[in-house]
Amino acid sequence: MKQSPADKQAFERMAPGIITAAGFLGFDDRPPDRIIAEDERAFEELGLDFENVADRLEELAHKGEAGLGEPITMGKLLVQSGDARGMLPCPWEDGFFHKNAVSISPVDTPLEACVEGEDMLIYSELSIHMLRVHHFCQGRGSPFRLEPALLKQLLF
Amino acid sequence: MNPILIGPLTVAGISTVLALIIAVLDKVLNNYGEVEISINGGEKKLQVKGGAPLLSTLAAENIFVPSACGGRGTCGACKCRVISDVGPHLPTELPFMSPDEIAHNVRLSCQVKVRSNIEIELPRELFSIKKYKTHVEKIRDVTHDIKEVLFTLDSGEIEFVSGQYVQLVVPPYGDIKESAQRAYSMSSKPSDKKHVELLIRLVPGGIATTWVHKFLKEGDTVELVGPFGEFRVHDTPAAMICVAGGSGMAPFKSIFYNLYETNAFPEKDIWYFFGARTSKDMFYLEELRELQAKWPRFHLVAALSEPSPEENWAGDTGLITDVLDRYLQTVIPKNDKGWEGYLCGSPGMINACINVMKKHGITEDKIYYDKFA
Repeated sequence: MKQSPADKQAFERMAPGIITAAGFLGFDDRPPDRIIAEDERAFEELGLDFENVADRLEELAHKGEAGLGEPITMGKLLVQSGDARGMLPCPWEDGFFHKNAVSISPVDTPLEACVEGEDMLIYSELSIHMLRVHHFCQGRGSPFRLEPALLKQLLF
Repeated sequence: MNPILIGPLTVAGISTVLALIIAVLDKVLNNYGEVEISINGGEKKLQVKGGAPLLSTLAAENIFVPSACGGRGTCGACKCRVISDVGPHLPTELPFMSPDEIAHNVRLSCQVKVRSNIEIELPRELFSIKKYKTHVEKIRDVTHDIKEVLFTLDSGEIEFVSGQYVQLVVPPYGDIKESAQRAYSMSSKPSDKKHVELLIRLVPGGIATTWVHKFLKEGDTVELVGPFGEFRVHDTPAAMICVAGGSGMAPFKSIFYNLYETNAFPEKDIWYFFGARTSKDMFYLEELRELQAKWPRFHLVAALSEPSPEENWAGDTGLITDVLDRYLQTVIPKNDKGWEGYLCGSPGMINACINVMKKHGITEDKIYYDKFA
């Protein structure tokens, strides 16, 4: 599939050191459009809907703020909503988003035993936007990767 | 010559010529020569090579404007007022600017390029900020996700006020190809001018905290820039109502031990509310209880928000804001001296505490904090 100029520019901005020091692609060597296509397929196979997942992540982030920076228990999850200084632009240049990091993990697994991407998800306002609008879960190895199977396991 | 080679060689030749033309044009067009930066109406004048962003140009001249994103225009920390006309605000700057700041040409110094003589305004305190070369003396786990890191200055001494912070310079590591800086409050006492102690909590996905927790070792060389910040004890008789969670402990540790050591502001009572989720997130409890036992004006209130029954926690429970509310209502004496709020933590925690304090009559101008986010 041919990339649109907007996509091409967005994909270039996902490299390390452009918007964030680590970038959005992790160690994934797949081109971003293929990452998106494969995650869309995974969402479909898992019966997930991008809007629903984004809404749920947003709800958890919002409720997690009640912990005032400390983790709080929400049902089967431990949620920690933290803030960082500043704003991040979306690689597609369709908005700026408050820098934050929300982590969700199973409440019965001690936080120190959780492995990012395996049993803990980390996301930000920008992650939710990219998931909702661009169906972009980030590349494998990115700390903010929203792995579809883990989304299903933790959120539903 | 083989006719098959003529095509590729011609293309290669043209490409080389074009690259040379671009390189020459770049040298000519982007050579801004030497330019002058005039600071605060000529109080300081710098002759610098033009062409680079203001932030890095100033840093090369040992003037360190706070920045947390390495000049990518995403932290909004490096604001300064530019008097000269350097063109309109860039789209990357606008999310960080209030209408008033735009009207007064406050800019992100990382986004403004120094192309000609430029006049700017900077807080005078920035002139005394230095970059310190240090090595890591000791790293200690104080909880499962907070490390106490002690840095020894390789030369010179650091002068600071309890409550101030430094920027930790994070070098490239792993897949991170660029240096970054992050702000951390100093937990050491100002009287120890050869050391800086920081408390660093692991933030999932955090560039600096991951480096500290997974890469930094005792003996490593690290650069610190500082001191920055206005957070400090105010010279009034009012009781200090201090609230922190997690690594928000850092400035208070420095403040309390400094006050104890110097007996400064002897009329001030000090109430310290420290919140954590469970016992394993609580730290320095023993030391702080010892301090309380020998220092009558210091009162420690440690609270857990989610203690399990097995922990046998005998202290206060609940969110720290709820505990604070209870104490302000029923425990802390109200007298003529009044109360002042001192906060360190996430913006959410700070906002929630401000609401509780205002409810109990502490006006916002008497609530002090450094919001790191």
